[in-house]
Amino acid sequence: MNVKKLDRAALDSWVDSLIARQKVYGVQARGERFAFAPLARAEDLRLDYDVTILPPKKYFLPQTEDLVTFKRSGEYDSVLDDEPFVLLGVHPYDMVAVNQMDAIFSSDNYDVHYMTRRKNAAIVVCDVQNASPNVFAGCMGTATVKDGFDVLLTRIGDAWLVDARTEKGAGLLEGVSAPDAGEADLAAREKVWAENVEKLQRHKLNCAPSDIPDLLEKSYGHPVWEERAALCFSCGTCTNVCPTCYCFDVQDDVNWDVETGKRSRTWDSCQLKDFAIVAGDHNFRPNAADRFRHRYYRKGKYVADKIGQIACVGCGRCVTGCVAKIANPVEIYNRLMEDK
Amino acid sequence: MSNVVSDTGADRKDIYLPEAATVVNVQPMTAMESFFAFKLDSGRELGHMPGQFVEVSVPGIGEAPISVSSSPTLKGLFQMCIRRMGNVTNHLHKMKPGDRVGIRGPFGTHFPVDTVMKGKDILFIAGGIGLVPLRSAINYVLDNRKDYGEVSILFGCKSPAERLFTRELAEWSAREDVTFDETVDVGDESWKGKTGVITSLMKKPVFDPKSTVQVGEELSKELMPALEIKEPGNTIALVCGPPVMYKFVILELKELGVPIENIYVSLERRMKCGVGKCGHCQINQYYVCQDGPVFKFADVIDVREAI
Amino acid sequence: MSKPRVAIFDFACCEGCQLQIVNLEEELLDLISLVQPVAWREAMSESSDEYDIAIVEGSITRPEDEERVKEIRDRAGILIALGACATIGGINKLKNNFDLDEVKRYVYGKDAEMPHLNTAMTKAVDEVVKVDYKVHGCPINRSEFTYIVRCIALGKEPVIPNYPVCVECKKRENVCRFEYGEICLGPITRAGCNAPCPSAGFWCYGCRGCVDDPNVNAAKDIMEKYGKTVEDLMQKMALFGSGQKTEARE
Ligand SMILES: Cc1cc2nc3c(=O)[nH]c(=O)nc-3n(C[C@H](O)[C@H](O)[C@H](O)COP(=O)(O)OP(=O)(O)OC[C@H]3O[C@@H](n4cnc5c(N)ncnc54)[C@H](O)[C@@H]3O)c2cc1C
Ligand code: SF4
Ligand code: SF4
Ligand code: SF4
Ligand code: SF4
Ligand code: SF4
Ligand code: FES
Repeated sequence: MNVKKLDRAALDSWVDSLIARQKVYGVQARGERFAFAPLARAEDLRLDYDVTILPPKKYFLPQTEDLVTFKRSGEYDSVLDDEPFVLLGVHPYDMVAVNQMDAIFSSDNYDVHYMTRRKNAAIVVCDVQNASPNVFAGCMGTATVKDGFDVLLTRIGDAWLVDARTEKGAGLLEGVSAPDAGEADLAAREKVWAENVEKLQRHKLNCAPSDIPDLLEKSYGHPVWEERAALCFSCGTCTNVCPTCYCFDVQDDVNWDVETGKRSRTWDSCQLKDFAIVAGDHNFRPNAADRFRHRYYRKGKYVADKIGQIACVGCGRCVTGCVAKIANPVEIYNRLMEDK
Repeated sequence: MSNVVSDTGADRKDIYLPEAATVVNVQPMTAMESFFAFKLDSGRELGHMPGQFVEVSVPGIGEAPISVSSSPTLKGLFQMCIRRMGNVTNHLHKMKPGDRVGIRGPFGTHFPVDTVMKGKDILFIAGGIGLVPLRSAINYVLDNRKDYGEVSILFGCKSPAERLFTRELAEWSAREDVTFDETVDVGDESWKGKTGVITSLMKKPVFDPKSTVQVGEELSKELMPALEIKEPGNTIALVCGPPVMYKFVILELKELGVPIENIYVSLERRMKCGVGKCGHCQINQYYVCQDGPVFKFADVIDVREAI
Repeated sequence: MSKPRVAIFDFACCEGCQLQIVNLEEELLDLISLVQPVAWREAMSESSDEYDIAIVEGSITRPEDEERVKEIRDRAGILIALGACATIGGINKLKNNFDLDEVKRYVYGKDAEMPHLNTAMTKAVDEVVKVDYKVHGCPINRSEFTYIVRCIALGKEPVIPNYPVCVECKKRENVCRFEYGEICLGPITRAGCNAPCPSAGFWCYGCRGCVDDPNVNAAKDIMEKYGKTVEDLMQKMALFGSGQKTEARE
């Protein structure tokens, strides 16, 4: 399908038509910040947002979700959430993160809970209009995104280019009559992409992302881990807000009949003190510094070695969210570069 | 990266869904450990290999990773030795035959009983509850005795009261085709065997001139280490025990000339999912639940935080 | 099996946590399906001395209260400390920051010498007797309370968070109070309340007490980054943090 060109009114009526047809989550204002939330009308959609407080992972791996229900007599049933939905306005760096999560949850052991949601989602990516204060996606190669999503929206002046990339995407655009984008429009879009690479560099990484694994390999004993972690609250914010973090805890709870109940998983974090504790109270990462370092290694090396991409997309959420202001990956990597 | 949206894997099975199993038998072993036999309600064999574990669910209480302690050669049921440590394990200890649990798995890597170990001399070194996963491999090897060369088993635990599988220890000890030796850290009045840490079973006897042994008195044969490694290069060592044990045992194995590539260890970490997702068991690049619990020691020797 | 008998006792507190139990509404019936209340001043007229589970609300502020709570402990198989006053001493511990006689004169004026106003250092219940379960918070979180009751019915050790309120606050996608230039005690306070305060636009004032091993030094160190002083922080912490273990560590 060709790229279409819509004006704002046409875009809004398209969004409203989507809302009339199915569940839509879109970016909206939340205090002075932004968040994905159920969208009631196109008017509330804020495609000019800079970054959302939580990444869209919450729709695929919710903060807490039921995995199975059980009877204490020993029967179990899967709980699957298969309601189709549209996710409107995902930024490219977050889309890259979703693609990484997809790789994790679809490979080796297929996670049917995550994947059911994922397959029922139609994702509309929106190229960034405003850079958030701490974004560095431009350094991580994630200022733009090539695949994984269904529709790409790009604002060109007062118009919107709408580019369906999949059959599902084309389905979303059914009934939209709009002119095709011209050569000039597509050139303008190329320009937005190029500009965004520059614009999304509020912090500048002094090395190529591909250098990070080796850099970390040499820096296990570097003093920066202890230095920084002295201020760490082990609060988990840097991982909870991270679009590529997916660790979870699993707990059972029973209903009042004390006979039936459910097992659910909830976001967990390697930064929390008890994350690696085992029976007998032995903790494999007892100090904040061990845990603090683990996060960087996890993102810059372990997962990177596994999926071939650095598991940091440069969204800057951890930088903003960390109360102690110690979680900035760029600062850490640059510091390690200096002392290499 | 591929676009997963086109994935049509419609009825994929749920990796978090336990399968019903029933307690067949429970026997107390020590103050802390009981020995359980389970069978899957579906009647299917568990299909594990020695060294693998399962996630055992007590509905409403939770799940815990537990090694399968029986050999795959035992059909119709599978066994576990479970130590009371907290919520799930305490509830398991309250169970009686006929009670039901949930099982996921088997998960993880296993000892290479069918490959590398074939035709080799095998040395099992178990510390305390480390005997639990090793027992599966030991019984597998003994059930296929002709496929292996010399077989030696070393076992050490804190005190006589903590000895596990006592009947089997005696059987192994009595076997002609097995070299068996054991020690306890601290004995009691009734303990006639050796005392000392497990590595004392691995040392070549050294005659200390300052020793308290009276002149003329023979060092009794029972107290001499029984282990004799004839061909270190042809020996495969399987080591399993508490974290502190590994370092010392491995040093001793080096001393005996067993090549590092021939050593296999089983590591324990906190686990929630057992399927490589939840992140709890991660040590560096490894997910212990997937890449372990059985590791070639050579693969983890340089891995920080591993041992 | 007969239902366990439960008795609820109040010491120095506002009884707000008991009110949370009364306010369980429909769930109150569910609760009664698991346990049988036998003594509960706030909700029933008769009372019995035979109980399996004692729920103790409030902090221990007088020597005679120490005796009373010890007696309760002796009778009960399980003792639950209900609410911040009971689990950490709560607001009542504020007075420990001052000279006791001064506190009495300030509060009661010339009646301060009356024997029934005899007051001692405020203690959390576990400073006097062994506590089996703690329901944190001022007031308690109803769903955590009911979870703990169900765990007891199951014979399961409840899993109570030992991580900061920030975890729950971020899961609820709040804008951090620090971004508004406010001091929030979330980073050192034990979660489990689901962060109602930051979600409603207030800072967390630490009513659930600190996590084990809170990084109080970091809290002090970061004040500067936010244009605040350590005194600002200490003032915030005094409300619920008084006499908590964290301070002893400094
Ligand atoms: C691969 C593998 C194989 C194993 N095989 C066996 C086996 O064959 N037999 C066997 O008995 N055990 C085995 N274990 C150990 C067993 O899994 C644990 O003892 C079990 O998970 C404990 O679960 P629980 O619910 O009983 O205890 P829990 O209630 O989970 O806790 C037990 C103890 O762990 C500590 N702890 C856990 N979580 C926390 C937390 N959040 N905060 C603070 N402390 C905490 C505490 O000390 C607590 O008392 C194995 C473990 C692994 C990883
Ligand atoms: S590590 Fe930080 S910047 Fe990188 S993806 Fe996660 S939250 Fe964003
Ligand atoms: S290990 Fe830590 S950094 Fe990695 S996904 Fe889990 S929480 Fe995130
Ligand atoms: S957000 Fe900051 S303080 Fe909190 S765990 Fe991460 S690094 Fe530590
Ligand atoms: S508002 Fe408070 S609890 Fe929430 S993230 Fe910020 S510091 Fe933590
Ligand atoms: S957010 Fe803080 S003050 Fe509010 S209920 Fe939770 S612990 Fe108490
Ligand atoms: S136990 Fe979940 S990743 Fe290994």
